[in-house]
Amino acid sequence: MRPRTSAGKILVLLLLLAPALAFADAGPDREHRVKAVFLFNFAQFVDWPDSALGAPKEPLVVGILGGDPFESFLDEVVKGESVHDRPVVIKRFKRTEDIKACHVLFVSSGEESRLDGILASLKGRNILTVGESVDFNQRGGMVCFATESGKVRLKINLEAVQAAHLAVSSKLLRLADTSSPGAK
Amino acid sequence: MTGFLSWRLLRTGAAGAAFLAVAALHAQDPDTLPTPSELKKMSLEELMDVKVSLVSRQSENLAQSPSSVQVISSDDIRRSGAINLADVLRLASNLQVARIDGRQWAVSARGQNASLSNKLLVMIDGRTLYTPLYAGVFWDAQHLPINEIDRVEVISGPGGTLWGSNAVNGVINIVTKSAENSQGAYASVAAGTFMKDLVSVRYGGRPSANVYYDVWARHVDQDGMELSGGKRADNGWGFDHGGFRMDWLTRATDRLTVTGSAYGGDLDQVAPGTIAIDGQYVLARWTRSLSEASEVVVQGFADRTARLIPRTFKEDLRTFDFDFSHRFPLTARSSITWGAGYRLSQDQVGNSAVLSFKPPYQDLQLFNLFAQDQILLWPERLRLTLGSKLEHNDYTGFEIMPSGRLAWTPGKSNTLWAAVSRAVRSPSRIDADFYFTVPTPTGGTQSLDGGPDFASEILTAYEAGWRVQPMANLTASVSAFYNVYDDLRSVEVTSPGHFEFMNGEEGEVRGVELSLGWQTLSWWQVRAGATALKEEFRVQSGHSDISSPGSQGNDPEAQYGLQSMMDLPYGFQLNAVARYVSELPTPVVPYYATVDLSVVWAWQHLEVTLSGFDLAEMRHAEFGPATANRQQVPRSFAARVTGRF
Repeated sequence: MRPRTSAGKILVLLLLLAPALAFADAGPDREHRVKAVFLFNFAQFVDWPDSALGAPKEPLVVGILGGDPFESFLDEVVKGESVHDRPVVIKRFKRTEDIKACHVLFVSSGEESRLDGILASLKGRNILTVGESVDFNQRGGMVCFATESGKVRLKINLEAVQAAHLAVSSKLLRLADTSSPGAK
Repeated sequence: MTGFLSWRLLRTGAAGAAFLAVAALHAQDPDTLPTPSELKKMSLEELMDVKVSLVSRQSENLAQSPSSVQVISSDDIRRSGAINLADVLRLASNLQVARIDGRQWAVSARGQNASLSNKLLVMIDGRTLYTPLYAGVFWDAQHLPINEIDRVEVISGPGGTLWGSNAVNGVINIVTKSAENSQGAYASVAAGTFMKDLVSVRYGGRPSANVYYDVWARHVDQDGMELSGGKRADNGWGFDHGGFRMDWLTRATDRLTVTGSAYGGDLDQVAPGTIAIDGQYVLARWTRSLSEASEVVVQGFADRTARLIPRTFKEDLRTFDFDFSHRFPLTARSSITWGAGYRLSQDQVGNSAVLSFKPPYQDLQLFNLFAQDQILLWPERLRLTLGSKLEHNDYTGFEIMPSGRLAWTPGKSNTLWAAVSRAVRSPSRIDADFYFTVPTPTGGTQSLDGGPDFASEILTAYEAGWRVQPMANLTASVSAFYNVYDDLRSVEVTSPGHFEFMNGEEGEVRGVELSLGWQTLSWWQVRAGATALKEEFRVQSGHSDISSPGSQGNDPEAQYGLQSMMDLPYGFQLNAVARYVSELPTPVVPYYATVDLSVVWAWQHLEVTLSGFDLAEMRHAEFGPATANRQQVPRSFAARVTGRF
């Protein structure tokens, strides 16, 4: 005898929850709100070589590669803001090939399976890469968001930062974990 | 009572909880989410001090906890390729897991493994899977989709002080993924030679900033086991399971979780017909962290599970459970955890002429109260944990389950611990309400009945262990135990041909458990474990047990496990699980060694997996007497495609 299914019951459950799909989003959660402001702060606490910044008044670009967990919140954060007389703008990229001018790049956790390729293709460019997967720095990323005791912590891979010719201010370094990325 | 707390009420409750979940989706708390300008005003230090999520205290504490704990992560599970929940447990080397037949597994910790193992507590998200029928778990009804599991925490050794009278030899806590970690769409299809086909889907969404939900469903068909010679036994099965989870982070300090599920399965047997299983459950848990060191958890669940074994047995069990626990610092050096719980189990059994439970309808109530104090004798160095549970059950009245644990942490990466505990296995219906009668050829009858005076089985456990992290990429843990059992179940003669369950056995079990986690290279992770076990049981003076020598359980003296997980270039992964289980003594089951291998290729949103299971032999037996019908696990293969969007 072939299995009888309880598909009916499952269907009822799914139907009960389906209305939830219709509701609109109300912005990112607390964690990503805080992380969005960190991304903006990175623009202020990192120095880029002049060649990477372009002509005066050219914008400072904070990019997001892949799915955007910040939604419009990050746009609100940088709205009307400028750093060293440069306006800060948000750009969203689907693929690494699309990345032209970019200074801070948040790599979405949805890109995790492609992370090695992404970081390899950005090698030699003056882009501060930021991620939130556990092994982001071990795989060559520069700044990793970690959550400890329910609070956001920063891990910085100095080797990778220096290889990209970026300078992180001591103020930011003091608050970050800069032990070698291989160590846990 | 049966009429009052009826299935109708449970269904109403389930519908109510689902409504609550949907209603919660409307609500949000705009005041509590910070605006861009508020956050921009903060210094870096202040930003780092914003509480963004609840702390999972339990998982943080596990690494330092003074007990023998192994944690199986979702990644370990995914890479093992396991399909069945009971097979996932094989990844914990401190458990004994043996497949009995197509639908049944024997699972235990620290020995005494049997098809009706009764000294292990198993929970999914704090919902006990215990059946008061025999104080164990019906593994054939436990087919939670593997990809819903966040981690499995396996504690070998008694946990009665916190978890009560079923946590004698160990505690398994299966934790499902929170809805935040189940966002987006997931679909997986598989086909194979033993697991025949599988479809698993999930969708997770976030209707408002603080509310996450996911819904999931899975269907699996499994073929029968093999008999010696390679003939398939007619004991395949099919199982459907669907459910939802909602996590509402009402405030930075609060989390409301509501989960619910329904399942059903048809399990073939040779005769007299297909076994039908179905069940539903809904659970709600509210957690509030009052401060770093203080937390309140309130949880309730309603569960119904039913089985029909044609012409043999029928059971419909409803469980209603309510628990409360509170953790707070008493002084700077003392942290109290206390709590209380109530459980009502309503059991309805359909009896046959051969096998019956009397009365067929039984309501059982369980009350409990516990308190535990963790005392820092020497800050950051020496911790003493003292506590006890006081439980009241309908068979033996009050039971007390105290324990004392001492942990010495000479450095951050070293913990030495020792513990003494008392745990009890309180009577279940099979011990007291059971009647088994067979006619003899001469026209009379023979019978085996539950004992009206059956008392609790008692364990006094002595344990010690060492957990060390000698290098950043290596963790090791070793623990040794000496368990002394009294008043174990025996079968004794009351009159010629008539037998009764009594408490006439005693014994000792001693053993060593070893586990190792090693990140050898950034792309190669290894887990290893070993368990050695020595059991001695005998009849207590004044008793005469006629049950077979292996009646207390049938366990290997040694078992070893190894899991290797490699990330290779071009999106490939190579994963392997190897296990060795030494001979079981009574009845004899030969030793076996198995290897599972899988190759995974991940490309964009897709993942393709090719697996081979139990590759070392054509087939191997894991349990049961050496008859022609002894069930064997076949070598098998499977292919799987998974998409995540």
